[in-house]
Amino acid sequence: MILRVLNFAVIGALVLAAAYVYRIKFDSTVQAERLAKIRSEVRRERDTIAALRDEWGRLDNPARIEALAKRFLPLKPIRPTQFDSLDQLPERPPQLVNPDSPDPIGSMIETLDEPAATTGSIDATRPVAEPPPPPAETAAAAAAEVPAVKSGRLDR
Amino acid sequence: MTAVTQIVSVQMPDTWRRRFIRGLLYGGDVDRAAKARARVGLAILAFVAVYSVIAIRLVMFAMVSDGRTAHRVGSGDAVATARPDILDRNGEVLATDVRVPSLYAEPRRLIDVDEAVELLTADLPDLDATELRERLSSKRGFVWLKRDVTPEQRREIYRQGLPGIGFLRENKRDYPNGPEVSHLIGHVNIDNQGIAGMEKWLDGHGLAALHMAGLATDRLQNPVQLAVDLRVQHALRDELVAARAKFKALAAAGVVLDVRTGEVVAMVSEPDYDPNNPREALEPSRINRLTTGVYEMGSTFKAFTIAMALDSGRFTLKSSFDAHGPMHVGRFLIHDFEPENRMLTIPEIFTYSSNIGAARTALAMGVDAHKAFLKKMGQLDRLRTELPESAEPIVPKHWGDLNTITIAFGHGLSVAPLQALMGVAALMNGGLLIPPTFLRRTPEDARALGKRVIKPETSEMMRYLMRLNVEKGTARKADVPGYYIGGKTGTADKVINGHYSKSSVLTDFMAVIPADQPRYLLLIMLDDPKVLPETHGFKTSGWNAVPVGGAVVARIAPLLGIRPRLDLPDADHLILASLKESR
Repeated sequence: MILRVLNFAVIGALVLAAAYVYRIKFDSTVQAERLAKIRSEVRRERDTIAALRDEWGRLDNPARIEALAKRFLPLKPIRPTQFDSLDQLPERPPQLVNPDSPDPIGSMIETLDEPAATTGSIDATRPVAEPPPPPAETAAAAAAEVPAVKSGRLDR
Repeated sequence: MTAVTQIVSVQMPDTWRRRFIRGLLYGGDVDRAAKARARVGLAILAFVAVYSVIAIRLVMFAMVSDGRTAHRVGSGDAVATARPDILDRNGEVLATDVRVPSLYAEPRRLIDVDEAVELLTADLPDLDATELRERLSSKRGFVWLKRDVTPEQRREIYRQGLPGIGFLRENKRDYPNGPEVSHLIGHVNIDNQGIAGMEKWLDGHGLAALHMAGLATDRLQNPVQLAVDLRVQHALRDELVAARAKFKALAAAGVVLDVRTGEVVAMVSEPDYDPNNPREALEPSRINRLTTGVYEMGSTFKAFTIAMALDSGRFTLKSSFDAHGPMHVGRFLIHDFEPENRMLTIPEIFTYSSNIGAARTALAMGVDAHKAFLKKMGQLDRLRTELPESAEPIVPKHWGDLNTITIAFGHGLSVAPLQALMGVAALMNGGLLIPPTFLRRTPEDARALGKRVIKPETSEMMRYLMRLNVEKGTARKADVPGYYIGGKTGTADKVINGHYSKSSVLTDFMAVIPADQPRYLLLIMLDDPKVLPETHGFKTSGWNAVPVGGAVVARIAPLLGIRPRLDLPDADHLILASLKESR
């Protein structure tokens, strides 16, 4: 008796297991097909990218750009005299207008009138155009830098 | 095995095994129950064997099935082998693979060959009908009919619905820049195997093995980056094409070499070819003259002669040699192009480009020292680079006084121009002979690889002479303000039918930029330039190669990141003064 129950239980388990395995197998097939599809998509994308890069290379070819530039742009080849270095730039002109002030012209006149010194009539918190004179140490450092700058120019 | 059965029989002397054998062997007079049990045992054994075979096969199928589906999807393409992309030093694409459809046929599955031939030739007019018929009538399983079919043609052929005709997508190598980098990069054959230039080098370095194993079918290989700069290459080629047309030269060639690393930043040999159409490369006039050709380099070789004298320590920049001409050697006469007929110091020999002075300098050093020095500079052995094409220098078999005299001013020894450039780069960069490369290389690697051939002071003196030659000597027309060019000209009479030609010459010009802190070395070479009205009847290097060199420098220096410096003192004050300071 107990053997028969066991037999039925085993048959039931077998059917369940078969169904389960079938489902897993089916799922895995679906997944594998999806994977293959994505792989082929990736491959196609890569090929497209390669084709586009190839075309970009063709369009970006210096000979082609040069021909187009000669035809459509008034540009000329650069001459050595047209290069300059940053330290050759002139000093930035002192800022006459305080951008925050409500009256730009008035502030311009004030800046022109006023030397760097602050008088009692002007609010001390107002930003001044000129930075305060450097402390002694930095001044000395700046003096030390002067020959270096000179030799830098000589090198050039 | 026998040992195991013995053990078993010892342990179980009279159990199931004996009974089993008895059941198989005995007749009907034995115990029937024992016989039945033996039969059941046999049946069980057989079933177990069959089912285990089935189970094992199932497991095997389950394990390989994924791979099979992937293969099935991919089988429509990836026939020809894939190659890695080739990029220039800024990452611009020089060569890449594109997929193109190719037409094939399976002759066994064809029903009507005549119909197929008729329809296919109608769609693809460039197919040869008789050859096509021959191919389709063969008994083979698979034949290629045409590679690289356009999409429209493909659609038309599909529409005809011929059986046994199909398309596979293949990799095709494409060179978007056309002839711009032709010799350097080389090309591939129809099966996508490299047959020239860097493409062949790629095959020689592992790619061919990958192809054999069938692994290199996908685009998963790392791109290869070369040292060449496409912009510089274009500028150089543009100027050389113009120069070749202007001077009606047979050929024009140029190289830009980084003297610190040995990287070839640009290399042009005009006439060149379009790698997309490799058939052009077969014409003999389109060889790469820089590595495959050997030439007598003319006066540029005086740089080696002078460097040898200065490096020996026996001579200084103040030493002078007798340059009264002409010089008699055996039955030969040696002339100077612009005779001075007096004692010349070494800088004068260099800047006047005096053949007699150079010859006497080399003679003073002796034949053996001269030979040994040129050997050390790599001028007597075949130069091997990544490019498969290389040429052996033509060295005289018996090297006597006369050979030393002529080689001192660049005749009688033919070398590949790239080889000469490597030697001059060593004279410029402080004395390290660095083999040129077409791949990226760092200065550290180059220093480790380089071989010291001359002293740093000698190199400095040579740079002084090169600069002096542009300020006062034969290379004055190359002086682009701001780049402090130094240079040496060379004009060699071409050897035609074993004799030096009176009428055709090879001119070359080597320029170092900038001469005080050398970064790049430029070579310009013109093969048989003609006389023009504006060259006043001259066709020496100073009238053709040198102005071209100046124009090239003006164009490429900004691209190479060299800052123009306009207020530099002359060579006497800049290079020579620093040389004296360092002593």
